[in-house]
Amino acid sequence: MAVSEVKLPKNFHQAVEDWRDTFLPDYQFLLDSWEKHFPKEPMFKLCAYREMGVCANIECGAKEGQPKATKPSELDEDQAQHLLGAIRAQASTEFGSIQQHRLTLARAQSEEEQVWVLRMMAEELRHGYQMLHLLVDDDWTCQTQQSSADMVEEILSMQTGSHVLGAFNIDFDSFVDNIVFCALIDRVGKYQLAMQKVSAYKPMAESMPQMLREEAFHLATGVVPMRRWATQAAEGEVYVTMEMMQKAINKWLPRGLEMFGDERGGGSNVRMGLKPMKNAEAQADYYQEVAKVVDDLNIRYLRAKVKDLSIGEARELLANLERGRGKAKGVDHAELLRMPDRDFFRRRGVPAFTMVGFEGETYDLYQDYVQHLRKHLPESYLAGRDFRDYAETLKKVAAGEMTAEDGARKMPELRRVGGSCPCSKSVRWVRGESEEGTKLPVMGG
Amino acid sequence: MSSLVIRGLDTMDIGDIVGIDEKITKQYRPEVWEARCAYYLRRDPDAAVVCVADGTVVGFMLGEVRSGEFGLEEPTGWIEVLGVDPEHQGKAIGRQLADAMLDYFKRRGAKTVRTLVDEEMADIAGFFDSLGFQPSSLRPFVKTL
Ligand SMILES: CC(C)(COP(=O)(O)OP(=O)(O)OC[C@H]1O[C@@H](n2cnc3c(N)ncnc32)[C@H](O)[C@@H]1OP(=O)(O)O)[C@@H](O)C(=O)NCCC(=O)NCCS
Ligand SMILES: [Fe+2]
Ligand SMILES: [Fe+2]
Repeated sequence: MAVSEVKLPKNFHQAVEDWRDTFLPDYQFLLDSWEKHFPKEPMFKLCAYREMGVCANIECGAKEGQPKATKPSELDEDQAQHLLGAIRAQASTEFGSIQQHRLTLARAQSEEEQVWVLRMMAEELRHGYQMLHLLVDDDWTCQTQQSSADMVEEILSMQTGSHVLGAFNIDFDSFVDNIVFCALIDRVGKYQLAMQKVSAYKPMAESMPQMLREEAFHLATGVVPMRRWATQAAEGEVYVTMEMMQKAINKWLPRGLEMFGDERGGGSNVRMGLKPMKNAEAQADYYQEVAKVVDDLNIRYLRAKVKDLSIGEARELLANLERGRGKAKGVDHAELLRMPDRDFFRRRGVPAFTMVGFEGETYDLYQDYVQHLRKHLPESYLAGRDFRDYAETLKKVAAGEMTAEDGARKMPELRRVGGSCPCSKSVRWVRGESEEGTKLPVMGG
Repeated sequence: MSSLVIRGLDTMDIGDIVGIDEKITKQYRPEVWEARCAYYLRRDPDAAVVCVADGTVVGFMLGEVRSGEFGLEEPTGWIEVLGVDPEHQGKAIGRQLADAMLDYFKRRGAKTVRTLVDEEMADIAGFFDSLGFQPSSLRPFVKTL
C-alpha cells in the first residue's frame, strides 16, 4: 500500500501558507513543541497524500462494478456538480474549523491539550490542502466555468459566517468548545470521509485513507480531555463541570446531526456511486456512537465519584439512575450527561423549527421554547449571533410568517461570501505565477 | 455469540478496553488506556484493531509500523499491547485480531512483525507460538537506574 506525496503548484502552496500565517499563527509553536509532545513521531508536513491501490471499480449505485473516474472529464455532469459541491463543502469545513479553534486555543488549561488541538488544526489545514489539490491537480474546465484559482480563492476567502455548513459558522466561546467540537463534529467528519472512501471519483477515494487516520486522533483530542474532565468534576474540581460539558453537547450535537444533510436525502449520492449510505442511515449510526461516548463519560464519572465501584456495579448504578431519575449512592441523576433528543434545537432537515425539547417533548409557544433552550445552552452562546439568527427565524416560523423550509434555507445566513466581502476583493490569496514573491497584505480575521 | 466485527480502534472503545484490562489484571487504570489509545490513534488507527461483538469491544491489539529502531532499518510491525475479554478467550478472537493487524502491516511495507513477551506470561507466549512467531535473537537487556 504505497502512499504518494504531492505538493500544490507554488502559487497555490504559497496561498495556503499565507492563509496559515493568518489563521494559524501558533504553527511555529507546534513545530517547536513537537519533540516534547510527540517524540519520534514523523513531523507534520503540509502536502497531499494519495493512497495507491484503492478499489478501481465503482462500489455502489447504478454503475456499480464499472471503472471509477480518474479525471473530471470522465464524470457525467450531474456527478461532477455533486462532487464539486462535496469537495468545496469538505474544504470549507477543514479551513473553517481552524478559524473557530484559534479563537479560544489560548484558553486551554493544560499544555498537552493545547498542543493536541494545535496538531489537529495543522492536520485540518492539510485536509483543506488535500481538497484544494483535487481542484487544482485535475482539469475541471470541462465541468465548470470557474477556474481552479477562483475556486481556491473562494474557499480561502470564507470566514466564520460564510462557510458552507452551519457547524462551521458558530464562534467558539471557550476551550470547552474546542474539545467538544472535536468529540462531536470531527466525528461527523469521520463518517463523511469513510463514506467518500468509496467515491466513484478515484482521486477522491485515494485522498480519504490518510485523512481518516488523522481524523481518529482528532476524536481523541476531544474524547480524552472530556473523560479527564468528567473525572475531575466527580472529584469536585470546578474548572469544567458536567453541566458545562452537557451544555456544549447541546450546542453542538444538533449541528452535527444536520451535517449529514436532510434526513430524506442522500439517495442521489448513493446512486451516483459517491457515498454508500443515505443521510438518515449515517445520521442514526452517528447518534448511537455519540450515545456510547456519553455513556462512557458517565461511567468514568461514577467510578471517580463513588469509590470502589466495579465496572458491573457502575453500569448497574447508571442504569438505575437513568431509569428512576432519582438519587443513589450519593449521586443525583441530574449530575450525569444525557443525550439530547435527536430533534432538539434543530434548524435543518425534517425536524427543522419543530420546537422539540431536550427530552423529545414538543412546545407550542415560541416564548416557552426559547426559555427552554436558555436553560439547556451555554450562556455565552445565547449572547452570540448564531443563536439570535436562529431565534429570530424561529419566531417567524412559529408565527406562520415563514415556512420551516424557508427558515431552514436561511440558516446559516451567508453574510460574508467571497465576492461580497470588501476585503476579499482587494486581497487575493492566490496570486498569478508572475506575482509570486510580492508579499500580499494579510487579511484580518 | 453473534457475529464478530474486526475494525480499527476508535475513541469510543476506550471504556471497553479499560474494562477488559480490568478483568485481566484486576486493576482499574483509565488514565493509562486514555494515554495509550490516544497514542495509537495518533500514530495509525488502522494498525490498532479491536473485535466487536454486540456493540461491545471484546478484544484489542495495539501496535504500529516503525523503522530505524534497534538497528532494524526496514519497516517492522510491532504488536505492543493485546487483550481478549476472559469470557471470550479461546474463540479465535486473538487470532483474528492478529490476522487483521498483520495483513495491514504487510500492506504498509513491513517484512517482519515483532513483539516482546515477558517470560512469566506463558499464555501470551503460547498464543504467539501458535500464530507462528519464533523466539528472536534480539535479546532485551535492562539496567535499573
Ligand atoms: C493471549 C490472548 C490474547 C489469546 O486470545 P484468544 O482470543 O483467547 O486466542 P485465540 O482463541 O485466538 O487463540 C489463538 C491460538 O493461540 C493459542 N493460545 C491462546 N491462549 C493460549 C494460552 N494461554 N496458552 C497457549 N496457547 C494459547 C490457542 O490455542 C490458539 O492456537 P490454535 O489456533 O493453534 O489452536 C488472551 O488470552 C489474553 O488476552 N490474555 C491475557 C493478555 C494480557 O495479559 N494482556 C495484558 C494486559 S491487557
Ligand atoms: Fe479534517
Ligand atoms: Fe478533523
